[in-house]
Amino acid sequence: MVETLRKIFLADLLTGLWVTFKTQRTSNIVTEQYPLERPRVGERFRGAPRLNNNPENGETLCIGCDLCAKACPENLIVVGTERNKETRRLDLTYFTYDLSRCMFCGLCEDACPVDALELTQDFEMASYTRDGLIWDRQMLEEGPRPTPYTR
Amino acid sequence: MATEAWQDPLSAALAATFPSSVLTRESFRGQPFALITPTAWCDVLSWLLLNHAFDYLADLTAVDFPQSPDRFELIAILYSFSANRYLRLKTRFPESFSPASLTPLFPAANWLEREVYDMFGISFAGHPNLKRILLPEDWQGFPLRKEKSILAMDQSWVQNHLGIKSGQ
Amino acid sequence: MTNHLETSEMVLNMGPQHPSTHGVLRLILKLDGERVKSIECVIGYLHRGVEKIGENRTYAQFAPYVDRMDYVAAVSNGLGYCLAVEKLIGIEAPPRAQFVRVIFAELNRIASHLLWLGTSALDLGAMTALFYTMREREDVLKIFENYCGARLTTHAFRIGGLQYELHDTFEAELLAFCASFPARLDEYERLLTQNPIWVDRLKGIGILTAADCKAYAVSGPVLRAAGLPWDLRKAQPYSSYDQFDFDIPTGQNADSYDRYLVRIEEMRQSLRIIRQALDRIPSGPILAKVPKVLKPAPGEIYSSIEAPKGELGYYIVSDGSLQPWRLRVRPPSFLNLAALEKMAVGALVADVVAIIGTLDFVLGEVDR
Repeated sequence: MVETLRKIFLADLLTGLWVTFKTQRTSNIVTEQYPLERPRVGERFRGAPRLNNNPENGETLCIGCDLCAKACPENLIVVGTERNKETRRLDLTYFTYDLSRCMFCGLCEDACPVDALELTQDFEMASYTRDGLIWDRQMLEEGPRPTPYTR
Repeated sequence: MATEAWQDPLSAALAATFPSSVLTRESFRGQPFALITPTAWCDVLSWLLLNHAFDYLADLTAVDFPQSPDRFELIAILYSFSANRYLRLKTRFPESFSPASLTPLFPAANWLEREVYDMFGISFAGHPNLKRILLPEDWQGFPLRKEKSILAMDQSWVQNHLGIKSGQ
Repeated sequence: MTNHLETSEMVLNMGPQHPSTHGVLRLILKLDGERVKSIECVIGYLHRGVEKIGENRTYAQFAPYVDRMDYVAAVSNGLGYCLAVEKLIGIEAPPRAQFVRVIFAELNRIASHLLWLGTSALDLGAMTALFYTMREREDVLKIFENYCGARLTTHAFRIGGLQYELHDTFEAELLAFCASFPARLDEYERLLTQNPIWVDRLKGIGILTAADCKAYAVSGPVLRAAGLPWDLRKAQPYSSYDQFDFDIPTGQNADSYDRYLVRIEEMRQSLRIIRQALDRIPSGPILAKVPKVLKPAPGEIYSSIEAPKGELGYYIVSDGSLQPWRLRVRPPSFLNLAALEKMAVGALVADVVAIIGTLDFVLGEVDR
């Protein structure tokens, strides 16, 4: 008798649907709408490299010590320097960072004594060509410019 | 290497049983190891397995010393569950020598010896299936020998594909 | 008179692109009907020459590469490597660093076992478990990301201790995970432990006795499922594991089902260790005094840890220069996979999938 009633009133179906509806809450949605909403990465996230400038005078912080290039396991950093006759310091002439071989281990930023080289929270570094992944000094100072998403 | 003499009952028993085959018995940072002659390789390991319950072949590998006349060093790392201790056995031999395979004693040696063959080109006498394991069968050369340089390979790859100077 | 259908031996190629071989493993099966007569593993598709790279990098530079061997347990790989180099140069990480290392290694064990549970359940047709385990694994990976900036290839530890101090929200995140995870584990067990399909597919399948485990040098949960309570964290304690109270789960039947039970219980024990470590974490420095240019004296050491898959060892030979003369990795997955032949011959083809699933290997580590 009970069995028949359960069948008529679709009790099993409702039990199953209850389990489904029980979890239908907006707080349970974990899908990220990526191009529309940028995900929040960790504060220590190791992403696109950046060569920092001094905020006061806009000059580069890099002192051309070559420690990042020596620390890099893949040897993908090449630092070009020139001895300045007046200040007797090393001036940075070029800085090449080959992202196509980078594994974002963070050893270069650990090695930097003046916090000039830094791995930032930017993660949109895709490029259509290998050449596009070889970043020069200008690119490293300005950061990546990902194409904005439009519908 | 700043080693100490390896002194304990097992070391003494090893020297007493194989007086002519055990060349040195040393210990480094508390880890004992013995150098034995290559011809006694199987005998010593089988004695350790049967009489001292070193029944776990943790690892088997080789090191290349191209400057030395005895070019290759073969290392077996043994573990005994009952004594809870590790023991390393080493043997040195020239490129032309083929050490005896440990597969009859330890089935685990099958793949480990194949890897050593693949990487160093040491051929093991009596191995049931000695062929390349990690590299393709038509690969030329043995990559873990010291004459193979990956730095030169890296540099030329970067030159050819990226057209930039590599830091190396 | 009976009519026999003519049968002949059939060679079946399974993989390298097969969803249940967990990566790029190729199996050449010789079949008699549904029975496996012989099995041959073809590996090496992911070979990157990690050992050769190690000979051409300085000790500090090689650390990020080890993350890429067993990529689902990168923290354990890094811990094993750091401990090996520390032993070679004769230093020890400060107590605070050791406790943090224990917490992260155990979180990684949970993450690795969760990925194993989800994927091997998926292989056997239980799809729900995958979504549940991925959800919890995400919590662990989020903690990794907040701590060291990466989710998978973490590079969390440095030789001599740690690079990063714990982040501010670490304790809250970890406590929230510890509070929610036991109920989640019960949920997996409700899904699987008594599930008749799961039990039928695993019980009595892929038996590898303790004697065979020793002979094939099989370690980790597979060895413990055979009834041998051997865990390097207890047998040869490292990184202050001797200060924590935990049990080593073992099985009796040495079959795939016991491996499942052992891993589930290991996750509970890991949680126990994490709770104890979090309670007693000492303050102090996180990095020991390590010379800027690491040049170990000539010597050779073998150092091994209990990684989620089994005994992960590093054998390092130093010639006194900046780079190791030889760096050998003893991968647990490689030796565990070698025992597949022993387990799978005589089994049905479908059981091979179950055996591969519960062996839990990662091809990145097998091939290196």
